[in-house]
Amino acid sequence: MLAILFDTTKCQGCERCVDACVQASGKDEAAAAADRATTLDGLSANRLVTLRRVAPGRFARWSCMHCVEPSCVSACLVGGLSKTRQGPVVYDADKCIGCRYCMLACPFHVPRYEWARTAPFMRKCSMCFDRVSKGGQPACVEACPNKVMTFGERADLLARAHELVERQPNRYLPRVWGETEFGGTSVLYVSDADLSPAGWPAKQAASIPSVTDPLIKKTPFIGLGVGMSCWALSAVIRRRDLLGAKGASREGPPSQSHSTKEDNRD
Amino acid sequence: MIDHNRSWRDLLWILVMLGAMAAIFRLWFGLGATTNLTDSVPWGLWKILNMVAGVALATGGFTVGFLVYVLRLERFRPLVKPAILIAFLGYGSSVFALTLDIGLPHRIWHLLVMWNHHSFLFEVGWCVMLYFTVTIMELSPILLERLRLRRAAGILHGIAFGVVVVGISLSSLHHSSLGSLFLVTPQRLHPLWFTPLLPVHFILSAMGGGMMVVVLAKILYARAYDPPSVFGDARAAEAPLGPDFPMAQRLAVIASGVLATYLMVKLTDLVARGNWRALVAGTWESWFFVLEQVLLAGLPLTLIAWRRTRRSPVGIGVAAACAVLGLLWNRMDVGIFGYFRTAKVAYFPSGIEWALSLGVLAAAVLVFIYAVENLPIFDTTWRARQEARQRFPSTFDPATMVWRASLARGIDRVTFIAVFTGALGWLVLYPPYRAPKRGSVAVAPPVALDVERSRLRLGEDGKASAVVFPHRDHQQRLGKEKSCGNCHHLSMPQDHSTPCVRCHQAMEASTDIFNHDVHLASLARRVPGHAVFAANWVCSQCHPNSEAKSALGAKPCMGCHQQDMKPTRGLHAGADWRRAIGYRAAMHGTCIPCHEREKERVKKPTLAMCGTCHQNLRYRERTQLASAP
Repeated sequence: MLAILFDTTKCQGCERCVDACVQASGKDEAAAAADRATTLDGLSANRLVTLRRVAPGRFARWSCMHCVEPSCVSACLVGGLSKTRQGPVVYDADKCIGCRYCMLACPFHVPRYEWARTAPFMRKCSMCFDRVSKGGQPACVEACPNKVMTFGERADLLARAHELVERQPNRYLPRVWGETEFGGTSVLYVSDADLSPAGWPAKQAASIPSVTDPLIKKTPFIGLGVGMSCWALSAVIRRRDLLGAKGASREGPPSQSHSTKEDNRD
Repeated sequence: MIDHNRSWRDLLWILVMLGAMAAIFRLWFGLGATTNLTDSVPWGLWKILNMVAGVALATGGFTVGFLVYVLRLERFRPLVKPAILIAFLGYGSSVFALTLDIGLPHRIWHLLVMWNHHSFLFEVGWCVMLYFTVTIMELSPILLERLRLRRAAGILHGIAFGVVVVGISLSSLHHSSLGSLFLVTPQRLHPLWFTPLLPVHFILSAMGGGMMVVVLAKILYARAYDPPSVFGDARAAEAPLGPDFPMAQRLAVIASGVLATYLMVKLTDLVARGNWRALVAGTWESWFFVLEQVLLAGLPLTLIAWRRTRRSPVGIGVAAACAVLGLLWNRMDVGIFGYFRTAKVAYFPSGIEWALSLGVLAAAVLVFIYAVENLPIFDTTWRARQEARQRFPSTFDPATMVWRASLARGIDRVTFIAVFTGALGWLVLYPPYRAPKRGSVAVAPPVALDVERSRLRLGEDGKASAVVFPHRDHQQRLGKEKSCGNCHHLSMPQDHSTPCVRCHQAMEASTDIFNHDVHLASLARRVPGHAVFAANWVCSQCHPNSEAKSALGAKPCMGCHQQDMKPTRGLHAGADWRRAIGYRAAMHGTCIPCHEREKERVKKPTLAMCGTCHQNLRYRERTQLASAP
C-alpha cells in the first residue's frame, strides 16, 4: 500500500506542492489562488492540497489522508468512493449523486464540493492515482524543493519514520502521526510540533467503519426480529382476546368489557 | 367554517408558490448559487428539516399501526387512516426535497442500482423508498373505494396485516438509522448530541413525536371541521367533552410515556458519558439542548401529568404542538447546530432554502387538507360537508356588464396568489441579486519562481543610479531554488517571491503597507452571522480591548500571517512591519552586508564598492568604498 511520509521540520511553507497539484489536476490557477484567500483552511474544489500551520514556522500538508479504513468509502451510498489496492482512495464521478455525505463523514474534513457549478461534483486528492499506477510519484512529492515528502510503501515508510523519530529524539516528537489514528492513514507525519491543532485526534481514535460496520450488519436481523416479534405479539394478543371473548360470553356481553374497563380508568 | 380555513389555505398556497419558484431557481442556478451551504456545513435545511425531521414527523403511521394491528387496541382504529396519510405525505415531501437537495437530481436513480451496503445512508434511502411504497399500499384502499374498485380494495384489505408488519420493521430500521447517520462524526458533532446511542434516541423521540403529530392533527381537524367531536357541546352539562376526545387523550398519554422513556435514556446517557458538563457550561449549545428537551419532553409531560390540562383538548393540543416543535428543534440541533463549533462557521439558510423547505411542507399540509375534505380519512361526514358548501361561481353579469370574479373558487384564488407571489418571489429570491459568496480580495497572480528575465532592473526610475541586477546569476550562485529566502524576506499572501517594489514603493520615504480596510472586511467575513455586529469581535482580533486602538498596541502581522506570508529571513517582529522602509534603504540593506561578507571570502575588494552594482556612475564614485547607507 502506497503512502506519503511528511516531515514538518523540513517544510518551509512555500506551497510549491500546491501549485504542482493545481497544474497536475488541471485546475484554474487564479481560482485556486483566490480560494487560498477566501476559504478558512485553504482547501477547496480548486485546491486539493494545502499547507496548514501547526506551530509558528511549522506547516503540515493537508489533503486526503487516504485512510486505511476510509470513512467516506463506507459512507458513500452509491459506492462512488473506493480504496484501491495500491492505496489511494479514489472517487468515481460517474456514480456520485451529490448527497455530500462523504463531506460529513470524513474525519479530516477533506472532501470539497464544486459549489460554483450547476452540476457539481465532490473533489479531493487522489494521490495522483493515474501517475502513481504508472509507477510515478504524486505531483506534490515531485515538486517539493526541500524533499519534505517521501513516497513509497506504507510499511517501509512507517519503519523509516520510526527510525527517524528514535534516532533524533531532539528533533522529533516521539510519535508518527497517521500510524493508528482512525485505523491508520496513508499520509504519515513526523514532526517537532504537535499536530493536534490542525485536527489530528488522539492516537487511539477508532476507525469509523469499525464502529458503523458491526451496527449495520445487524440491521437485517433487527428488522426481521421486529417483524417476527410483532407477528408473534399480535398472535398472542389475538389468542388472548379470543379466550377473553369466550370467557366473557358466559358472563356478559362480549368484546365490550375490554374497552369499557380502559375508559373508566382515567 | 370554510371561510375561516380559507385564509390559512391562501397562506399555504403562497408558501407553495414561493417554494415552486425556489425549486426552479435551484435547478437553474445550482446549489452553490441558491443555498448558503459551504464546505464547512455541507448539510443544511433541506436535508435536516425536510428529510431527517420530516420523516421523523411521519412516524405516526407505524406507531398507530402497531397499536391497532399488533396490540389490537381497537379504540385507535379511527386514527389509522390519518396517521398513514401523514406518513405518506411526510415521506413524499422529504423524498421530493431530498431530490432537489442532492447535487445531481437527475441521478437519484443511482440509489436503486448502485449499492453500498456499508452505508447507513444507503439503508435509510432504501427503507424510505420501501416504506413509502407501504404507505401507498396502506392508503390505496381509501382511494380504490372512492373509485368504486371494491375488489382491488378487498385484496389490499386482505394483506393489510402483513403490509403493516413490513412497515413496522422498515420503520424501526430507518428511524434509528437516521440517527446512525451522524455516528460517523464522533469528533465533529457537539458532545451534547453525539453518543453511540443516537439511533436509540432517534427512534424513541420519533415514535413519541410522531404520535403527537397524529394527536395534533386530530385536534386541529376537529377544531376546523367538527368541534363537537372533540371539544364537546358547551350546552350539555353532562358530557363537556366530545366522544373522540378520550382517543386523542389516550394516544397523547402513550406518546408522553415514550417521550418520558426517551428523556430518561437521554439524561442517563449524558450523565454516564460525562457530557453533562457541556450542559452546565452555559454555551449556546447547552441552551439549545435545554430548549429542545423542554419542548420535546418537558412541557408535554408536564401538561399531560397535570390533571387539568390533561382533561382539556387545548391542553393536549398544546402538549402535542410543543412535542412536534421540540422534535423539529432536536433534529436541527443534531444535524445543523451541533456542527457549528467544530466547523468554525455558522450557517443560516438562504431565502431560497427557507422557501423550498416551507413550500414543500405547505404542499403536504394542503394535500392533507384536500384529502380530509374529500376522502373518508377522519370520518365520513365529508360528503355532507361537501354538499353543504356554498359555491360562488365566477360569472358574467349581463345586467351590470361586470365579470363577477368573486375569488370564491379555489382556482381563482390560486391564480391570483400565483401572479402576485411570482413577482414577489422574483424580487426576493432571484439568486443573482444575492451578494457573491466569495470574497472579492484582489489577488496578485503568483510570480513564477524561475523568473524568465535573468536580469532585473532595480530602481529604474530614469536616474543614473539604476542597477542591473543579474537575478538568475544570483539565484544559481546562492543555492538555486532554495535561494529565494536569502533576499526575499517576506512574500505577500499567495506569492512565492513578491517583487521588492510591491512594498518598498518610494525611493526615500517609507510606505504604509498595512491596508486596514481589507483586514476589516476579510475578518468580518469570518464572524459567524456574516458581519452583523462584527465590529467588536473584529477590532479585538488585533487591538487588545484594554488599549487604545492605535498601531502601537496592535498585534504584529506575523501574529496571524505566519503561514501565508512566509517570512524566510529573521525579521524582527513588531509594529514596524506596517510600514515598509524606502526602496533604496531596503536594497542597500539587502545587498551590501552580503557583498561585504563575500569580498573577504573571494578576495575581491571591489565587490563591496558602489560601482560594482551602479555601473553607470562615474569612475571616481565607482571606486569609492561603499559606506553604510
